[in-house]
Amino acid sequence: MMTDTTDDRVSRRRYDRECQARKEAEALLEQKSRALFKANDELSQNAARLEQAVQERTAELSLALERAEAASTARSRFIATMSHEIRTPLGGLLGMIDLLSMDEVDPGKQELLDYANTAGTGLSRIVNDVLDFSKMEAGVFLFEQENVDIRALIESIRILLATHEHGTNRRILARIDDSVPKLFLGDATRMRQIISNLVNNALRYSTDGPIIVRAGAKAHPDGVLLRVEVEDFGVGIAEENIDNLFKDFTQIANPLTAAAQGTGLGLAICKRIVLGMGGVISVDSRLNDGSTFWFEVPVQPVSNPDAQGSNGSKAAHGLPPEGIVGRRVLLAEDNLINQKLLLTYLDRMGLHVDLAENGRIALEKFAPGKYDLVLMDVAMPEMDGLEATRRIRDKWSDAQIPPMLALTAHVMDAVEEEAKLVGIDRILSKPIPYEDLKLAIEIEIAAASGKNAPTSAPVASVRPDAPEPTPETGTEARTFFDLMAPTAAESLLDIFGHDGLIDFAGKFITDSNSRIEQLLAAERSGDVKTVTDQAHSLKGAALALGFADLAEWARRIEHGETHLDKWTVAETAANFQARLDYLDKVLKN
Amino acid sequence: MKGVIFVELIKMAEGAFGEDTVDMVIEKADLDNDGAFTAVGNYPCSELVKIVMAFSDHSGLSPEVLQRKFGHWMLGFFVDNYPEFFADKDSAFALLESVDQEIHVEVKKLYPDADLPRFDTNRPGPGRLEMVYSSANRLDAFCHGLIEACMERFEEEGDVVRAPHPTEQNAIAFDITLKK
Repeated sequence: MMTDTTDDRVSRRRYDRECQARKEAEALLEQKSRALFKANDELSQNAARLEQAVQERTAELSLALERAEAASTARSRFIATMSHEIRTPLGGLLGMIDLLSMDEVDPGKQELLDYANTAGTGLSRIVNDVLDFSKMEAGVFLFEQENVDIRALIESIRILLATHEHGTNRRILARIDDSVPKLFLGDATRMRQIISNLVNNALRYSTDGPIIVRAGAKAHPDGVLLRVEVEDFGVGIAEENIDNLFKDFTQIANPLTAAAQGTGLGLAICKRIVLGMGGVISVDSRLNDGSTFWFEVPVQPVSNPDAQGSNGSKAAHGLPPEGIVGRRVLLAEDNLINQKLLLTYLDRMGLHVDLAENGRIALEKFAPGKYDLVLMDVAMPEMDGLEATRRIRDKWSDAQIPPMLALTAHVMDAVEEEAKLVGIDRILSKPIPYEDLKLAIEIEIAAASGKNAPTSAPVASVRPDAPEPTPETGTEARTFFDLMAPTAAESLLDIFGHDGLIDFAGKFITDSNSRIEQLLAAERSGDVKTVTDQAHSLKGAALALGFADLAEWARRIEHGETHLDKWTVAETAANFQARLDYLDKVLKN
Repeated sequence: MKGVIFVELIKMAEGAFGEDTVDMVIEKADLDNDGAFTAVGNYPCSELVKIVMAFSDHSGLSPEVLQRKFGHWMLGFFVDNYPEFFADKDSAFALLESVDQEIHVEVKKLYPDADLPRFDTNRPGPGRLEMVYSSANRLDAFCHGLIEACMERFEEEGDVVRAPHPTEQNAIAFDITLKK
């Protein structure tokens, strides 16, 4: 049979071999298929596990993020609260010292009060340093963008520090190069903080020689690069100490004073501020050879200097000085010490104050036309100042609402946004010095009257303490008496009777006119004693008749404080005269 | 060792000696699986040596000659079936250098369990390549054949000197010098 097979037939052996090879290949294929299936299965299991792991990690991370955010919020709130808790009593203390000093005549006690004031101010500075530092740590330190006049800024620092404890008998020189733009955009407060800190240090670490404050500018991609230098000729700094200088909580031992002063945060804060402004700060110094601290920050020059009029306190000076005496203020304040302090301050400004112990009471008391200004504390029980403001804004139209000012001992940035949102016109930070408060009130009232009621004459804007503005055409007696403080008018009417009081008022005007003439003459001839004496008399008389604004102007002349209104003695006296003329006219009508 | 080597060896033998002769020689060779090789399987190298010895006995050709011939055959197989490995090479040296660096890397991807020899290369000077073949399986002549075929493939001529590696065990050094 085998021999019959054709050539292309394969042998049995070959066939068997191929079959066996095929079987083996098939078995291998099946085995590989299983392995592949298993591998696939493992892969999808791994994918699922991986996905779950990713989900778990994501959940863990978002939880951690949530916690971190909560911690950060808590920290911010803690700082704001601590700020409030520390500043409130401190402000109270400083205010009380301020009030006591105003009235203290005993030189011995006055000296003690001065010490207390110095210590308190120092403490306040340290507290502010620590708070600034905490704010920077918490990342809630914000920079303003406003017009900065560095010449005026350095000048004010120069004047302020020259009268300061370390600065007496020291020369502080300002050398501002023409390259420095007249105005540029920046944060004036922070810049002032840096420069005063540097000048303060220069005063502390040197005993003689001038302190020279230089400023210059050069071209920079973002406008100009401002460079400010503060040079002293004092103890200097050894090279090995320079690196530590700008670190937190470090101080260089001062051979001029036995004890360390301050927190050691001053330069660290300066450095953070400058870095925050995108600049650099450093020092060139040699031991016993004086130091030059300098910083450079990029700033944008303001091309239109008129823009200056549009912001802040500068605006106020452009407006005609508007009397605030006799204006009605609603004060919402819960803290007894602050109540006492603010009531005394406001009273001193000749304002009529209505006190509300919390936001709810303020809301109840408020009515359109009843007040010329509202002062709101922020943190109060029952209803806080912001909530009360919001509700007042909701209830009445803007035209019916006088300027609303918020007083806060919180870190300002923390409440600023919300305050603006509810319609606060201006935020004042506690502790607020008397003059700052007065200036703020003057600005707001001036702005409001400029906006709402164009006044015919500056003096006519002093409104009587009546719910409705009294027309000038009312009975003459009523108009005149209404110009007086109500308590004074009441008691004087009691004593003199109606006609007697008119007679008395006439005498007051005649006498005062003669005195103010003498005062002006004495002022021209440089007779300071007569000026003071006459002013003192004028003050007493004006107080007796309840003309608080006149009394205040006289007091300013007496105490040589007319510059606080940016007026000269003669200008203040002229105002006084103008008011007397006006009173005379009202009286004779 | 991959089954494809066995399948190709037998295919070469069939071409040279005819099917009946191959059937007979395989039967005599006393192989573990009676010569039923599949390209996807794995078989011990000793089986390959047995087949080579059997054909040597049958034909009177030395195992050395048979292995070298088989090297030539396998290079042809590689060129036909894996042209991508040759496409971007311009010389025999470039291909020989790519055996370890490229080709075996790809083989490992498909057959993670493959037990591959190592080929370390080095160019001591222009026109010279040293190639060290390290493997427990001593298919020295087979490698020799592959190298020769590779040079032919790129139309190059050269001398291949084969010697045991001076220091390493189980290693053979090929010193290849191209003719100018």
